[in-house]
Amino acid sequence: MSEKYAEISKAVVEGEDVQAAKLVEDALAEGLPPLDILNQGVVAGINKTGELWTANQYFLPDVILSADAFKAAMVPLEPRLKASQGDQLVRKFVIGVVQGDMHDLGKSLVCAMLASAGFEVIDLGIDVPKEKFIEAVKQYKPAILGLGAYMSTTMLEMKDVIAELKKQGLRDGLKVMVGGVPTSQEFADEVGADAWGKDAMLAMQKALELVGGKNG
Amino acid sequence: MANPTLEMVHGMLYGKGLRFGHPSGLARVIAAMTGDHADVIPFFGPQIHDHAMTVARVPARLYYWNAELLVDTHLAVDRWYSFDSDTIIADAYNFEVEALGGKMIYSDNAMPTVDVSHPLITEASDLDKIGPFDPSKGRIPMAVEVGQLFLKKAPGPFAGGFFCSHWSLLCQAMGYPKAVRALKRDKGFATALFDWTNDRVLYPYMQVFAKAGVKNANGADAWACFPDLTPELIEEWVVPYALKLRQQCKKELGMTVAAGTAAGDYCEEDPAKFDKAIMFKSWEAATKTMPLNVAFSGMGRTQDWDMTWLREFALQKGKGGHQLPIMASLNGRFMRDSTPDQIVAKIAEWIDLLGRDGRMLVFIGNVPADTPPVNIHTAVKAVRTLGKYPIAADLASIKIAPPAFQPFDEWLKGQPEADIIFKAREWKPENKKVFA
Repeated sequence: MSEKYAEISKAVVEGEDVQAAKLVEDALAEGLPPLDILNQGVVAGINKTGELWTANQYFLPDVILSADAFKAAMVPLEPRLKASQGDQLVRKFVIGVVQGDMHDLGKSLVCAMLASAGFEVIDLGIDVPKEKFIEAVKQYKPAILGLGAYMSTTMLEMKDVIAELKKQGLRDGLKVMVGGVPTSQEFADEVGADAWGKDAMLAMQKALELVGGKNG
Repeated sequence: MANPTLEMVHGMLYGKGLRFGHPSGLARVIAAMTGDHADVIPFFGPQIHDHAMTVARVPARLYYWNAELLVDTHLAVDRWYSFDSDTIIADAYNFEVEALGGKMIYSDNAMPTVDVSHPLITEASDLDKIGPFDPSKGRIPMAVEVGQLFLKKAPGPFAGGFFCSHWSLLCQAMGYPKAVRALKRDKGFATALFDWTNDRVLYPYMQVFAKAGVKNANGADAWACFPDLTPELIEEWVVPYALKLRQQCKKELGMTVAAGTAAGDYCEEDPAKFDKAIMFKSWEAATKTMPLNVAFSGMGRTQDWDMTWLREFALQKGKGGHQLPIMASLNGRFMRDSTPDQIVAKIAEWIDLLGRDGRMLVFIGNVPADTPPVNIHTAVKAVRTLGKYPIAADLASIKIAPPAFQPFDEWLKGQPEADIIFKAREWKPENKKVFA
């Protein structure tokens, strides 16, 4: 049984998306518990990738392939997980790239890492107007709102989004994270964000800290 | 008008020790790059397009479409800051894909940008469907005009056109993850992609530049920085195609084309992961594509580096007992987020370490839009003061008073660019054809 989880983990680490998905399907067909497949196989794999990244043994191309395999593995797994979770509290993370911007790469990696940490990720996509962020906060009532940008001009939109949240009384109880190439801790402080995600791995860690540790 | 040829000769002589007259900005740069030094360490004009737009308060929907406005705004802002050279480029990564029909995002406040969620290329057959590169499409005519105006208004060895180099163009056309997948998993497809980029997009584009008299072009390739690509992948893919285009254009068009600029730039974000061996391999790859023969620190988190590594690399790569000239680039976020005192301290530290024997230039790795102008003025003043040769023994003891400078609008009055910039502010999209 643990051998199956190790195979899934290896496929995720090596970025073998088709194989990762197939192994998960096989494991489900064998009746293995979805939560164990997730934690001991898929999440173990993406965590190993994170370790290799931190150790300078994996670089962005490797992480991208691994994240692809993670996403592929989650496709057959997600419906089964949702069914087994029932009413269990899962914290929501609404994320999007601000208007005028298409910083998709970093956001995709952050989404994968957040999902691996047990967040329910609601991805609003790119070029997201302020109004759409506000609407999503009202609709989904997330624990965290994540704002991304890759241009030093568009990142200023983040200020407007946070100001609008305050104006509409939505800021209390909501954590806001910012990220993207031109952002920094200083910028996060300046716009009144609760945290800055320097890269996908650290963004996930900060998100977990914001919700008080392990999620779900 | 200044004569760039004479300025360059002056710089070469000055750098070799024949120190007469007052070197111009260009002469300072040439002295640092070909000899040892001029009167002072030069401040190389940084990539500054969105900051210049913000300082000049001109509308994005005009600025990124109007060559004369873009060039004049750059020249005015560069002169306001007293840089020693100009780097004039617009949103260099978008023009080719836009002209080929890629979906774009246009904004009132920011540069145009390719919408990679609707990629131009998803599979090999798309390469034939896209059709030939048409230089009349999109903003290609504007890019060519920018090159012409740059050569006319600020002539010299650094004036010319810009383009998006091979790897970054592929990332823009198909999205980075898919492009990476091709490199790592499907070499046949990757080869077809690079061949298409070189033969069917960039070479025809260079022909248009050459025909317009723009015989110098610089191809940005920041998607090929580390860790977006490993040094091995850069050597395998980016360097050969950059050299191929360079040689092709030299031989067939009599043109100087530097493709792959910024490839190998060490952009690791986490100081705990800085790795000397990887850094050296990245720089090794970078020197093969850089248009200038320099040891270059670009967009990376340079404020946290051990800059003795850069000096060591420059010494290793130098010839005849001289180090390779060092282009020490202040990180853009550092420039935006730091206090003037922190900027002065960093410049003093670098000059002490890298500049005492000459062959040093200072640069900024892309100036963020909202960088406080006082920070840039402070950096320039610090380099002019602390970088004066011979370099003072104790730089820490030299106090740099806050720079005195006129607000941009006040300074602009009476400058040759005043009219076009002030008029641009009155422009409204509804006044004429809306660009996007």
